[in-house]
Amino acid sequence: MATMKTVRMKVNGVTHESEVEPRTTLVDFLRGPLALTGTHVGCEHGVCGACTILVDGRTARSCLMLAVQADGAEITTVEGLATPEGLHPIQQAFIEEHGLQCGFCTPGFLMSLVELLSENPDPSDAEIKDVLGGQICRCTGYQSILKSVHSAIAKLRTAGVAAQPPLA
Amino acid sequence: MAVKIPNSIDELPTSSPRFIGHRVKRVEDTGLVTGRTEFIDNVSMTGMLHCAILRSPIAHAKIEKIDVSAALDLPGVVAVVTGEDAAKWSHPAASSPDGWGTYCLPADKVRFVGEPVAAVAATSRYIAEDALELIEIEYEPLDVVSDPVAAMEDGSPLVIEERGSNVMLQRVFNWGDTDAAFAAADHVFSEKFRWNRLGANPIETYGCISEWDPTELGITVRGAFQSPSHMALGRAMTFGLPSNKVRMIAHPHGGSFGGKGGVRGTDVSLLLSRKTGGRPIKWIEDRMEYLAAGGSQAWDRRYEFSIAVTNDGIVTGLKVKLVDDIGANGEGFGAISAAKPLAAFTGPYTIGAAQYDLSLVATNKAPASPYRGMGPPPHNFALEQMMDIAARSLGIDTAEFRRRNFIPKDAFPYIIPSGNEYDSGDYEAVLDKVLALSEYEKLREEQKLAREQGRLVGIGVASAIEPGVFDWNAYAVVGVQGTGVPEGATVSIDILGKVMVRVGFALEGQGQYTLVTQLVADYFGLEMEDVSVTMLDTASAPPAFGPGGSRLGVAITGAVLGACDRIRVKMCKVVAGLMQTEPENIQLMDGVFGIPGVSEAQMPMAQVAGTMLGASHLLPPDVDPRPEATHVWTAAGRTPVDEEGRTKSYLTAAHAVHIVLLEIDPDTGMVEIQKYVLVDDCGTRLNPATVEGQTQGSVAQGIGAALLEEYVYDEDGQLLTSTYMDYLLPTIHDVPALVMGEVVTPSPFSPLGAKGCGEGAIHTTPAAVMCAINDALVPLGTRANEVPAAPNRLWKLIHTARENTSSD
Repeated sequence: MATMKTVRMKVNGVTHESEVEPRTTLVDFLRGPLALTGTHVGCEHGVCGACTILVDGRTARSCLMLAVQADGAEITTVEGLATPEGLHPIQQAFIEEHGLQCGFCTPGFLMSLVELLSENPDPSDAEIKDVLGGQICRCTGYQSILKSVHSAIAKLRTAGVAAQPPLA
Repeated sequence: MAVKIPNSIDELPTSSPRFIGHRVKRVEDTGLVTGRTEFIDNVSMTGMLHCAILRSPIAHAKIEKIDVSAALDLPGVVAVVTGEDAAKWSHPAASSPDGWGTYCLPADKVRFVGEPVAAVAATSRYIAEDALELIEIEYEPLDVVSDPVAAMEDGSPLVIEERGSNVMLQRVFNWGDTDAAFAAADHVFSEKFRWNRLGANPIETYGCISEWDPTELGITVRGAFQSPSHMALGRAMTFGLPSNKVRMIAHPHGGSFGGKGGVRGTDVSLLLSRKTGGRPIKWIEDRMEYLAAGGSQAWDRRYEFSIAVTNDGIVTGLKVKLVDDIGANGEGFGAISAAKPLAAFTGPYTIGAAQYDLSLVATNKAPASPYRGMGPPPHNFALEQMMDIAARSLGIDTAEFRRRNFIPKDAFPYIIPSGNEYDSGDYEAVLDKVLALSEYEKLREEQKLAREQGRLVGIGVASAIEPGVFDWNAYAVVGVQGTGVPEGATVSIDILGKVMVRVGFALEGQGQYTLVTQLVADYFGLEMEDVSVTMLDTASAPPAFGPGGSRLGVAITGAVLGACDRIRVKMCKVVAGLMQTEPENIQLMDGVFGIPGVSEAQMPMAQVAGTMLGASHLLPPDVDPRPEATHVWTAAGRTPVDEEGRTKSYLTAAHAVHIVLLEIDPDTGMVEIQKYVLVDDCGTRLNPATVEGQTQGSVAQGIGAALLEEYVYDEDGQLLTSTYMDYLLPTIHDVPALVMGEVVTPSPFSPLGAKGCGEGAIHTTPAAVMCAINDALVPLGTRANEVPAAPNRLWKLIHTARENTSSD
């Protein structure tokens, strides 16, 4: 058995401290010990984007990071978007504009958009495509996703809130 | 009394449907956008172990020796299985054609790169994968055959020795006097085409948790099944169990497109469960496993097409010769993709005679699987290229050429030479609409200007049929037995009038739970929130197949409306008894039962349900007191195959015409799609938003097929595209915005007049894109006959053509 390392990270506002094998990927750590199974694994080689999460506010492929690399980080996963009061505006937009079909890739799309719309509340289509070019959806053909992004932009503007969920 | 299933939305018991036919939000989505939906890899069970599979690195080799002792010594490893266990506890997999299945773990030899040879159950996936490295296998390499044409020759290495040949099936079908049509033709055009392997690639791979029950001698598998009942039957055969001892619990899954696969991994994990005394064994296929050996690969085809044409541009005969590379065995049922084209062999055209010279061949590559469209997309691609070749040769516009050959709208129902019946259509109306929407004449003018500037701009017009609602008889010619595919639903109303619908399929992405909700809500005058849909396992669900062959929207509509009608009949009896009249005097409308026009003789449905459940002593004696019913729907009028392979197989025939404008960059061979316009007719649109979603997604897959996606093998049978860095899926940059229109000719045969539309555009898109590419290449005098038209291929074609021109 490999030497275990202690990692401590704040995930969706909750602090976790665990012993992990150094080789444990971040996504396996989130999905296993932390039971945050909303982050999905699609390719495990960094192409499909299904496992995208926010590490210190920046998107990261959680299949390509080790849990030990996230020691001390603040992490947001799809479970951190909705609140007990309701869905995040980006989630609402995806439902309203049919931005998903099987929904397996969706958490990754949502997290990429949280980063984009936090930094740039009014991106052009080219900027949106530039960001979403790193996410693969096999179901929708992307047009409904683009519509969802525009709807999300309008919702965030109307509500006057930032895309980034509050990190407690 | 016969169950009444409305053929039109107007016949529903509502004065104005509020949900059916409307763009309603999907009931599936909240769980999906919050990450709460229970995909199989989210599930853990007490005592569960993790499986990892060791796979062959060689395409063809004898297994001389397997030593698993070091793996078994690794702490955390509980069991290892090999071909010995498979031979002891299982049978070779069912296959198409019959008799071409192999064991899930072979004892004697491996037949393709990625074939499982051993598997480990351990306390974590990490440990299980560590253990794989400790298994020692000695292989003796054998000669590899990766080319199906070479595989057909005498003296070729044999993939399955016992069969004595690599030819799995060879048959020439003749429908009508094709030779006479060709002899009488003014023109005959012939061309060869190559369609390379591609496949489904849902973003979630396959996964399952398998349990062998040592007391009941049965199995239970939780998994990402596209069709749980079909998986159950297959496992019963593989493990020699009565089918009632096999229970499948389907989980929502992240897409399938026909290519979820999973048979081998399920069987391997079941062997491990048996070896560990019944521990639950989780197997999650990783992406590289999926790409090399999952349900990933389809349609590896070499075609020769000929058409007979009159001077007026009427196509009178079609000859197709196909060598279909099925790979190392028939367990993936990829062969059905060679049978399905019979359901629309001559496309939307009046071609009166056709011949199909079909060879299915085994090679040392991954077994072929189904993929969305199930075989017609390559056939349509080739047929549509032939239509363009003929049109150009005769100086007829390609859109006009199709119009001349369309089946006229007054000819339906129409039986095509290969035996299937098209239900309805108005192909000219579809063409007219897409020509108008695309401003076709203007596009041709723009193209003319572009050509004068030396630019390679092309316009593709392609038309195809999407057979909808499959029947097993469609695949009889490749050895699949049976007629009729049941789909059932149980509708139960509680004492407060709220409804639960139980179905036998899991979420897959098409929005079918939403459809069920729409149907029931409109039928009983409820809100959608008043209706819940839940999935039952194969031990308790009504008979069901689930999605596949563009069937589920139509089939589940039939099942749900049938069950609702059975409840309506019961409730009419109840209400008639209470009102002291005859049941035929009672009508259901907008959720209220009563005597029409008599305002004091009305009972809301909830009150009827409450009476049935709370005061059954008030009911007429012959009434079943449960406000609940099950209906199992099958498509009527399907026929067994005749001696020529003809059958009425698919119930509906949707139709589409796509127009694509694109430009090829001669310096890079890259294609830019500049305009994509389509009009389709899939009958009544039950939820237009989900229909459009299916269409858009299918266009994306069709563009992937035409331009990007290809499994590449070298001559040693090594897969060169084993990651998503090499197997290219379309991204948001590759898929254009679509202009979409619709024509609606309801099906006279189906519930609510809907036609199967789940496979959708992939039947037409690759053809349309390739027609446009070949149109762009006309000035160079060259053609692209190989799919995908990847930049390297187009660049080479363009530069070879230019060199030839300059050296003339």
